Amino acid sequence: MRTGLAVWALASAVFLLSRHDLDTAVRLQLPDAVDLAAARSGPAAQRATQLAVQQRLGLDLPLFYASRDSGPRGHAGQWRWHGSRNQYHRWMADLLRGNLGTSFRTGTPIAASLGHALAYTLPLTGTAALLAVVGALVLAQRLAARPWWQRPVRLALVGLHALPLFVVALGLLLIFANPEVLAWFPAYGLDQPADGELGVWSRLAVYAQHLVLPVAALALTALPELTLQLDAALAHELRTGYATTARAKGLAETAVVRHHALRNALLPIIAQIAELLPTLVAGAVVVEAVFALPGMGRLLAEAAATRDYPLLVGGVLLTGAARLLALLLADLLYLWADPRIRWQA
Amino acid sequence: MAGLNATASSWPQRLAVLWLGLVVLAALLAAALPLPYPPGMPDLGHVGQSPFGPAGYAAGRHWLGTELQGRDVLSVLIFGARTAVLLTLPAAVLAALVGALAGGAAGFWGNSLRLAAPYWLVVVGASWWALGLPVPIAGAALALVALSVGLVAGWRKLPLLTWPVPLNAVVMGTAATLDTIPRLVLVVALAAGTGMSAGGLLGLLALTAWPHPARLVRAQMLRVRALPFVEAARAAGVPAGQIWLRHALPHALQPLRTALPLSIAGLLGLESTLSFLGIGLAPDVASWGRLLATVRDQPGTWWAFIPPFICLSLSILSLNTLGQRRGNTA
Repeated sequence: MRTGLAVWALASAVFLLSRHDLDTAVRLQLPDAVDLAAARSGPAAQRATQLAVQQRLGLDLPLFYASRDSGPRGHAGQWRWHGSRNQYHRWMADLLRGNLGTSFRTGTPIAASLGHALAYTLPLTGTAALLAVVGALVLAQRLAARPWWQRPVRLALVGLHALPLFVVALGLLLIFANPEVLAWFPAYGLDQPADGELGVWSRLAVYAQHLVLPVAALALTALPELTLQLDAALAHELRTGYATTARAKGLAETAVVRHHALRNALLPIIAQIAELLPTLVAGAVVVEAVFALPGMGRLLAEAAATRDYPLLVGGVLLTGAARLLALLLADLLYLWADPRIRWQA
Repeated sequence: MAGLNATASSWPQRLAVLWLGLVVLAALLAAALPLPYPPGMPDLGHVGQSPFGPAGYAAGRHWLGTELQGRDVLSVLIFGARTAVLLTLPAAVLAALVGALAGGAAGFWGNSLRLAAPYWLVVVGASWWALGLPVPIAGAALALVALSVGLVAGWRKLPLLTWPVPLNAVVMGTAATLDTIPRLVLVVALAAGTGMSAGGLLGLLALTAWPHPARLVRAQMLRVRALPFVEAARAAGVPAGQIWLRHALPHALQPLRTALPLSIAGLLGLESTLSFLGIGLAPDVASWGRLLATVRDQPGTWWAFIPPFICLSLSILSLNTLGQRRGNTA
């Protein structure tokens, strides 16, 4: 509920702020040919084209319910009430009907282009999230047994934690997709149309081959934090009384970890998992830029570069929805992990 | 035991301080260093040269080679350090300051700060006047009358109607709103709308970074406010504002000593990611992230990848070490 309110406030803020800079957006929309013709036919015609573009994009209406006229001599004039004939009201009404609007740049509906991009981003982030969580679970359980490789692995995790995502992605790209080192995976080019006669399986194989490095980069950056936290929580749980009792019963250390300590140690991690989904959406911005995947993140970055505001606002809304989903998921996981919460509810 | 640990494990911390001092020194002296090439000027005769090539360090021209557009890697590194230091340090300090004030106030007063009715009227009248709603003079007059009523009542110690200010709810609500969207997405969305100057980017970074220190300071303030010395100060008749500023706030700032290096590390990562994506700073500003971005176009130029990679990861690692060590010993 509160998160929903926050998402609405943020999307509204982005929407209203974006209108500050509309001149650039309108100028970017002017086709070059029209620009040339307008330059020849003088400023009046130029003004007319600008107005036409504004009208097409629905920007000729006032922005908010009330606004201030710019009065004479630079003085701020009187406030005027515009009623429901304003951009914000239209946007909200459309949004409630499930219509996200159309892109400034391409004129396609936002929902369609976001959906198209999500078809690439969801497998990417979903696989990465799954891999990171499973990897953290396995690795932390192994680390809890204090093997000899505990120190180097932990050091490596701390080092990996310090690297920004784009550095990891670039490093992977330079090592594994570089003709001069190891050319195991293609560097980019997933959006190019494949040959028509490829079967379903080979097309799937090409798709998977393109996704290996991005998924690896995302999972590798999400892994250290989860593993280190889970490791610390496990170490704490293994020092408690019930773990000692379990050991005194003669259980093996792995059984103590798996059946007794793990579930209690999971509780602080679940909050992390709620963070994971939105973080991966943000990570997709970077990874898709590095590997040139046609997904959500690249869509957002391009929208920011070309001032395609409806698309940006749609992206913000979608990210907020991802956060809501993650919170819901975390609540369900809490219910599963801790019976006390079940009894209270 | 703790003291033994602190001395035994202080060498990573010393190394971290040494490296960070080096970076800051390079950043401050960037303009005075005898660099053969300024960072913004491409040497078009030697594009994408390796440091071991004919124009490399042997010839004394480009010590670390040049990148794809002919910029000298060494000078981009040093001026990139300047960009990083001048952008992330003030942003982190600003965010910590805003966070400390907002979080400290929210923690100290909660939702229970009561403001007398005349002062509410002052606020309403002043905003009426400032916004230029119809008949602005009425707003100003309202504010003046309310102010004088409030002053007279305060002087005569008359009881007045008071309403609570939802300070805690406002601060925490704003922080939660800013936290719902990942920082990177928020900055990308806002950077598009608000222009691209360095000052604007600094403000934007600070805006997205303040909720974390605010939460920390608020949590600490909730503890400090219940301690005996605050109660003693209150019993001695010290005004609440002075207790907050002089007595409680210095103690509530403790967690920031750990959080500030970590916050700088996060901002450094964010800044380099932004310039890697080409959002925010102008293209001619030297930055580590942008230097790393040139490698994507020409995977063979390892000399444009390794140095900024080392600089960036060492800096973030040092900041993390600093934060952790301080956290353990404090």
